[in-house]
Amino acid sequence: MILRAEGLRKFYGKFCALDGVSLGVGAGEFVSIIGPNGAGKSTLINILTGVLRPSAGRVSFRGRDVGGIGPARLARLGMARSFQLVQIFPELTVLDTLQAAVVARLGRGTRLFASLARDRDVHAEALEVAELFGLGARRGVPARQLPQGDKKLLDVAAAFALRPHIILLDEPTSGVSTSDKTAIMEILVAASRRIGLQAIIQVEHDMDIVFAYSDRIIALHQGKVLADAPPAAIQADQRLIDTVIGRRVPSR
Amino acid sequence: MQKIFNLACGSFYALGAYVGVSAVSWYTSAGGPAALFVLPLALAGLAVGAIGFVVERGLLRFVYDRDEAFQLLLTFAVVLMMEDAIRLTWGTSPQSTSALYLTYGQVRVLGATAPVYNLIVIAASLVIALLIGGLLTRTTFGRIIRAAADNREMVEALGVDLRRVYARVFTLGTALGTLGGALVIPATAAMSEMGIELIVEAFAVVVIGGLGSMRGAFVGALVVGVLRAIAISVYPELEMLLIYFIVIAVLVLRPRGLFGGAAA
Amino acid sequence: MTARLVLGAAVVGVALAPLVAPTYHVLLMLPFMAYAVVLLGLNLLFGYAGLLSFGHALFIGIGAYAGAFLTGPLKVRSLEVILLAAGGLGALVAAPVAALCVRYVKIYFGMLTLAFGMVFYTFVLKFYRLTGGDEGLPFLRPALLGWSLEAMPKTDYLVGPYYYYSLAVLSVAALCMWRIVHSPFGLCLKTIRDNPAKAESLGIDVTRYRWLAFMLSAVYAAVGGALLGPPTGNVDPTLLYWTHSGNIVFMTLLGGFASFFGPVLGAFVFIYLQNWVMSVVPYWRLVFGAILAAIVIFAPGGLMGLAARRRRPMRVSGA
Repeated sequence: MILRAEGLRKFYGKFCALDGVSLGVGAGEFVSIIGPNGAGKSTLINILTGVLRPSAGRVSFRGRDVGGIGPARLARLGMARSFQLVQIFPELTVLDTLQAAVVARLGRGTRLFASLARDRDVHAEALEVAELFGLGARRGVPARQLPQGDKKLLDVAAAFALRPHIILLDEPTSGVSTSDKTAIMEILVAASRRIGLQAIIQVEHDMDIVFAYSDRIIALHQGKVLADAPPAAIQADQRLIDTVIGRRVPSR
Repeated sequence: MQKIFNLACGSFYALGAYVGVSAVSWYTSAGGPAALFVLPLALAGLAVGAIGFVVERGLLRFVYDRDEAFQLLLTFAVVLMMEDAIRLTWGTSPQSTSALYLTYGQVRVLGATAPVYNLIVIAASLVIALLIGGLLTRTTFGRIIRAAADNREMVEALGVDLRRVYARVFTLGTALGTLGGALVIPATAAMSEMGIELIVEAFAVVVIGGLGSMRGAFVGALVVGVLRAIAISVYPELEMLLIYFIVIAVLVLRPRGLFGGAAA
Repeated sequence: MTARLVLGAAVVGVALAPLVAPTYHVLLMLPFMAYAVVLLGLNLLFGYAGLLSFGHALFIGIGAYAGAFLTGPLKVRSLEVILLAAGGLGALVAAPVAALCVRYVKIYFGMLTLAFGMVFYTFVLKFYRLTGGDEGLPFLRPALLGWSLEAMPKTDYLVGPYYYYSLAVLSVAALCMWRIVHSPFGLCLKTIRDNPAKAESLGIDVTRYRWLAFMLSAVYAAVGGALLGPPTGNVDPTLLYWTHSGNIVFMTLLGGFASFFGPVLGAFVFIYLQNWVMSVVPYWRLVFGAILAAIVIFAPGGLMGLAARRRRPMRVSGA
């Protein structure tokens, strides 16, 4: 297991957002987390990525307790993430955004007087990731001027530039037109093979995407794990699907 | 409330003081009874608060949607302008209303002699504090202000014209500042530096009390006042230094102030 | 290319100024160069790391008072030693101050730096025996590169050796800062300015980088502060007052915080404009307040921003 969570609970005041969630992700897995709004998906992601500290339970990453150590340290340990609402550096170009990620990974950020322009490793690696995500031609464009789909790609590409062991994608295709969704997913899968990524966790609403790409699906409902099974098993359970995608459960 | 840190509030205070002096000297030369000098003083202080409306409409409203740094700088621009405007109008020498405040005599309180006027000012500030508290908690206007401080978009979505709310709040705040300046003037002299000095003290008060908390501001003022009094009698060099250390301690330990709301 | 030509012309102009310009204007260049050093540092914090300090007069004051102490009671006259000591002392004071301040951003950061600045201001004002209170301390004429230059008339010293010494310090400071903002560190600062949460998710330790940027800016401010001393021959607490912090932020904005040389241009325009306005009317603050308000509202990019805005349409029509 690369990532393991045991008995996670999270309270906001008296409200219990997560109520004893346990899960594990092993090498080579593509795991999707699904669930209706308010099921606790965002809270779970924020705990797994070190932004929030769980009220109870523990998270271990590659055998190490990482509960609440903060996103920066977690990223340096090899866990990267992208965001549901696209997060970019508006004034930085595509290349600079990716170079920043490479600089951070190589631990060269405190080189005060070194010339970034002459750092060939950083430049080459950033360019490679840009090409991988089809952003090579736009490498000199400031991120704020990119079309929405490319902003989304850049957000994810920066996470890939960290060459992480595992990556958490918070709705990688939200806010993107249906036709672009598959294209983004294909780029993601190709890129993860290229950089030797060990596992992907994604939170996703689009069930077509979820069923097409996942090895395993974890369904959350009201802060609890409702199901943890391969896509075929989930697909077979119509009642479960209705619950997790928020359709009214027919009372029989 | 508006989440604007107004560097210029000290300048408004100074302006109120100068206008207060002018109003009182005009009043005495016009032959008004000495016992009622507080009335023109307070009226002048309130009236000049209209400058707040001018500043808000003329300057601040352009930068509400920009970085807070720009709002801060804009109020700094007002500080610069007001300082010279005051010098231009009243000159550089300190202005005072002479010993007029002694018309009310003195009383002995807790074994110390205090001018009655000072007691009147204390009473007045208590009344104002209560009125503001009432305004914020009991009236619709107050509820809108508090809601806007929490969530601007939501309040606007409900159809409230926030521009008018902001203009009113800022004018009200300014008027309180100028009134404060006017009321304090009989006990001291108006100097062009007083505004710039006050801003730091007001800053201490607000930080200690907690931003956006009226109760906090009042307690903060009390803390600062008492501490200054103690420090002056014990070790004068430490007077303001002590205040700043407390400000820093509060900012570091409880950045939202002693009475600030819970973390968002 | 045009930018390089303009920069080259500016450097040559500054270098030749003592030979051709009236002494009075040459003397005004001295505070300009000192402030330029301060602003290069301040803008690392504001323009590149996105933190607006309202307390950097604190470090100007530390540099200036360090120089006054060294030349006076401690009898150290070498300006090289003075500048090093000023920078070192600036860093020493900045280390804890920065550690506390960078935990906050935006308005809280501004307020906290203001409070720290005022702590030192009050300290300098009240501890009369040590600091001379509101009268300040004399800053005796420092020796340059081992030359005492005591016998030289004051004006000759200032427009001659001291002028070129200041220019050399400014050039070195600008060169170092140029490297810093174009280093991997500079790039990381920009990511933090643009989006701290995303920077954090990439493994960039936001607090640590902000602290480093603060330290560097404090060292620059202290060195610039020490350079301010010799031209007036005196240092006083107004150097530490919060309005002085406001003024240097004003200079930064006037020139344009989004560009490397913007703040330097801002310092130049501020000092000469202030001088000119004061010679016409005694109320320079009224005029400058209005200018600042106009910049904030209409041209937040400052003079450099305006220049860029004018250049862009020309490029389009030329293409």
